[in-house]
Amino acid sequence: MSTTTVLTVDDSRAMRDMLRHSLAAAGFRVIQAEDGLHGLEMLAEEMPDVIVTDINMPRMDGFGFIEAVRKDETRKALPVLVLTTEVDVEKKNRARAAGATGWIVKPFDPVKLVDAIRRVSA
Amino acid sequence: MEDPMAAIRETFFQECEEQLAELESGLIAMENGSAEVETVNAVFRAVHSMKGGAGIFSLDALVRFAHVFETALDKVRSGTLVATPAVLSVFLRAADVLADLVRAARENGKVDEARTSAMVAEFDQINEIAGGVGPAPQSSAAAGGVFEEDPAPDSVARSCWEINYTPRAELYAKANETAILLRELRRLGEIEVRLDTSLLPELSEMDPEGSYLSWHIKLKADCNEADIRHVFEFVEDDCALSITPPDEPQGLIPGTVITGDNGFKFEFFPPPEMEEPEAEPVAQAVPATAPQPQVIQPSMVKSQAVEAIAAKAESAAAAPVTIRVDLDRVDRMIDLVGELVINEAMLSQRVLEAGITRASGVAMALEELEHLTREIQDSVMAIRAQPVRSVFQRMPRLVREVAAQTGKQVRLIMEGENTEVDKTVIERIADPLTHMIRNAIDHGLESTETRIESGKPVEGTVKLTALHRSGRIVLEVSDDGGGINRARVKQKAVENGVIAPDAQLTDDEIDNLIFLPGFSTAAKVSDISGRGVGMDVVRQSVAALGGRISISSRPGQGSIFTLSLPLTLAVLDGMVVSARGHTLIIPLGAIVETLKPRAADVFPLDRDLNVLALRGGYVPMVDVAASLGYCDQFIEPEQSVALLVEGEGGVRAVLLVDAIHGQRQVVIKSLEANYRAVPGIAAATVMGDGRVALILDVDAVVRNARSETGGRTPEALILAEAP
Amino acid sequence: MSNALELPSILDLVAAPTLHEAFINRRGEALAVDAGGVQRLGAQCLQVLLAARAAWVADGHTLQLENPSEEFFTTLELLGAAPEDLTHDAKYDGKEIAA
Repeated sequence: MSTTTVLTVDDSRAMRDMLRHSLAAAGFRVIQAEDGLHGLEMLAEEMPDVIVTDINMPRMDGFGFIEAVRKDETRKALPVLVLTTEVDVEKKNRARAAGATGWIVKPFDPVKLVDAIRRVSA
Repeated sequence: MEDPMAAIRETFFQECEEQLAELESGLIAMENGSAEVETVNAVFRAVHSMKGGAGIFSLDALVRFAHVFETALDKVRSGTLVATPAVLSVFLRAADVLADLVRAARENGKVDEARTSAMVAEFDQINEIAGGVGPAPQSSAAAGGVFEEDPAPDSVARSCWEINYTPRAELYAKANETAILLRELRRLGEIEVRLDTSLLPELSEMDPEGSYLSWHIKLKADCNEADIRHVFEFVEDDCALSITPPDEPQGLIPGTVITGDNGFKFEFFPPPEMEEPEAEPVAQAVPATAPQPQVIQPSMVKSQAVEAIAAKAESAAAAPVTIRVDLDRVDRMIDLVGELVINEAMLSQRVLEAGITRASGVAMALEELEHLTREIQDSVMAIRAQPVRSVFQRMPRLVREVAAQTGKQVRLIMEGENTEVDKTVIERIADPLTHMIRNAIDHGLESTETRIESGKPVEGTVKLTALHRSGRIVLEVSDDGGGINRARVKQKAVENGVIAPDAQLTDDEIDNLIFLPGFSTAAKVSDISGRGVGMDVVRQSVAALGGRISISSRPGQGSIFTLSLPLTLAVLDGMVVSARGHTLIIPLGAIVETLKPRAADVFPLDRDLNVLALRGGYVPMVDVAASLGYCDQFIEPEQSVALLVEGEGGVRAVLLVDAIHGQRQVVIKSLEANYRAVPGIAAATVMGDGRVALILDVDAVVRNARSETGGRTPEALILAEAP
Repeated sequence: MSNALELPSILDLVAAPTLHEAFINRRGEALAVDAGGVQRLGAQCLQVLLAARAAWVADGHTLQLENPSEEFFTTLELLGAAPEDLTHDAKYDGKEIAA
C-alpha cells in the first residue's frame, strides 16, 4: 500500500513543525501550506490523501479553504480534518457547512490525530 | 542530534514573540482608533495561535490565560463586546501578563500568579457584561479545562451493542465514508452488518450522490459507548445514529446509560427529525451538562452555508493586510519624505518672506500642508518602527546567567517593552543594554551577604524600562544595589590621571567618570562585565547612534543608567552652530558639555594647536572653521563658544565655534549620495530657510586633532604638559 | 455476447455519478461488470451497484460480476452486501432474491 500523503495547512510555524514531526513519525508523507491560499496552490500541484487544516489563518481562513477545496469536483471525496483551538459549536458548524470531514480540537494528541487521519482516509 | 521537540518549542516561543508584538500593536491601534476589521482579527488570531501552540507543550497556565483573553477578544470580534478605552486598557495589561506567561514558560520561570488571577477576574467582569448582550459565555467552563480529555465514564458494557446508522448525503459530501466507519467499528470487535436497501430508489431516479442505505450493526466488543461514538465522532451530525446496549432492557428511560457522558468534544447534535423512533429510548446521548442541542434545520444549514460564503468573501476582502517590502524601498520613501519636509519648510519660509499674513488662505493651506507632511513623516517612520520587545526578551535569560555566575539573586522587572523605535536603532541597542544590565548585576548589586548585612532583601532588583520622552526613546536600567562608590571612583580617576587629585567634582560628575576609557572599579576584570570592555565602550556605541548615556546614583540605594536614543537614524538631534558665517550641525549625542573657555586655561601646544585645561586634564582645541578650511585665521578662544565633544574611543576634543543657535532635529541627507564624501563632514541637511547645513563628523574632526598632535593622545599630552 | 463494464479503481463519491451514468447508458441488455481493478469501494457507489442490480432484475437482463478484486470483495462484505446482491441471472427470473 502506498504512503498516505497529508497536506497540513497552518499559519503557525511551531504547529507546522509539530505536525510534520508527529505525522512523519506515524509514517505519513507530509506536505505543508501556510494558509488557505497557499494550501490551494499546493493542491493544484498535488492531490494529498488527507488535509489537516487550521481555521484562524491570515489571507484565507480554514472556512474559505475548505469551501474552495470542495468546489472542485475531483476533491469532493478528499477528507479534510479541521485542527483548531476553536471549541465554539457555531464555528464547528460553519466548518462543517463548508464541507469539513472532521474536527479535532487542539492541543492535539499526536496519537489522536493519526487515528483521526486513519479514520477518514480510505 | 538535536531534540526535535526542543526545536519546535523554540520555534513556538519565537512565534509567540512575533504574536505578542502583533497583539501589542493591534491593541494600540484599537486604542488610538486606527484599527481596522483585520486588526481585530489579527489580535484575536495572535492570542488564539499562542493558545494553540501552548497546548502542544502542555503550558497549562498559558493556555488557560490565553483562553480567557481570547474569549473576550472574540466577543469584540463578534460585536458583543465594545472595545471601550477601559476594555482596551484591560487588554493591554493582559497582553503584558500574557507576555510574562510566555516568558515564564520559555524559561521555566516563575509567574506572578496573583497578577494573573487578578487579570482573569477583570476578564470575568468584562465577559459578564458582554454576556448580557450576546450569547452566554462558555469561558468559565472552558477556562476550567475544556482541553482536558474527559474519558467518558460509561461502565464497560458486557457484550453486544446494536447500532442503527443512517447516513445522510451531507456525510458523504464532507468526504466521510460508511465503509471506513464500519472498518473502524470492526476494530473494536466482531461485527455483524445488516444492510437495509429498502429506501433505495429506482436506478434512473436516484441521485448518485444521495444517501439511501441504512445499516444495522451488531457489535460484540468490550468497549463503552464512548468508544463507539468515537468512531462516529465526525459524522454524528450527518447521520441518524442510535447506539443500544442489548443487555439493557428495551424501553429504558434515556439518561441512565448516558449519564455524565460529556466527553465528546466533537459532538454535533443530530437533528430530531432524523431520529428513528425505535432508537429514541437510549439514543441521542446528549450530555446532561452540555449546552442545549442546537437544532439544525436544512434551511439553517443552507443559511450557514450562505453565511460561510459571505464570511469568506469578507475575509477575502479583509485578509491581505501584510506585504513584504524591500527595506530599500522604505528607505527611499523615508528619504523622499525627508525632502518633502524640507521643501515644505522652505515653502513656509518663502511665504513668510513674501509678507503674506498668517490669516490668509495661503498661509492656512500651508499650515494644513505642514500637518499633513508631519503625519506622512510619522507614518513612514512608523513603517520601520518596532517594539523594543525583541531586545527586551533576551534580557531575562541574560539576567539569569549573570546571576548564576555572580551567585546573586536577581529579579528583573521590565516595563515598556512595547515602546517602538526604528528598526535600525533596535538592532543596535542590544549590546549597550546587555552591558548595562551585566554591569548593574555585577557591579551594581551587592553580594548576597552584604545585602543581608545592610538589611536589604536577599533578592536584588534590576529594572529595565523603555519609554518615549521628547521624541527620543529612553532606556533605563536601575538597580537597588549599593550605588557608586564615589571615593573609589575618584581615587581611581586620579590614579589613571583622568582628573587632578585636587579636582572638585560634583557627585554627578564623579558618577559619570565611569564612562571614561578603561575605567573599571572592579578589583579584577570580571568575567561578566567583561574582558576589558568597559562602560566607555557602551558610551561610544551609544554616541555613534546619536544617543547619550548617563548615570545617577544614590549611595546605599542603587544606580540608574539612563540611555537616550533618537527614535530613528533618519533624523538627528543636532546643535546648530555657526562658524565664520557657515551654519553647521553638531550631533547632540557627541556633545558632552558647552564651555566658555577662559584665556588662563588655554595653553598653546604646537604652533597651531591649543589645549584646554579641564578638570586637571588637557583637551586639544579644534577651531571648527579652520579645520574645515573656511579660513586660515584661528579664532580667539575667548571670543568663541567651546563644545566639549567625545568621539570614537572616548577621545575628547573641544570644538570652537562662533555661536550656538540652539538644538534642532534635522533630516539627514547623505552627502556621499548627493555630492561626494567630504572629510570632516558626516552628512548634510537643509534648513527651513532652504540653506544647506553640514553635519559635522565629530569623530573625524577629533581624529584629525589627534593626528595634529603628532599622534599623541590626550593621556600623552597630560604626561607631557601636566604641571 | 454481453456488454462489459470495467469498474474504475477508486469507487468513491467522485466516481458515483459516472458509474451511475454508465449503468443508465447500458440498460436494456445483459452486462458483465469487471471489478478486477477496484481498490476502493464507497457506499455511494455501492448504492449505484445495488440500484443497477434492481434495474437489471426489473428489466429481466443478466448482470454479472466478474473477477472481483480482494479489496472489492472485502469492502462489499464489510458494508453488509454480497456479490449475489449485485448480480442477476435472467435464466432464473422470477426467483425471489433477498435484498
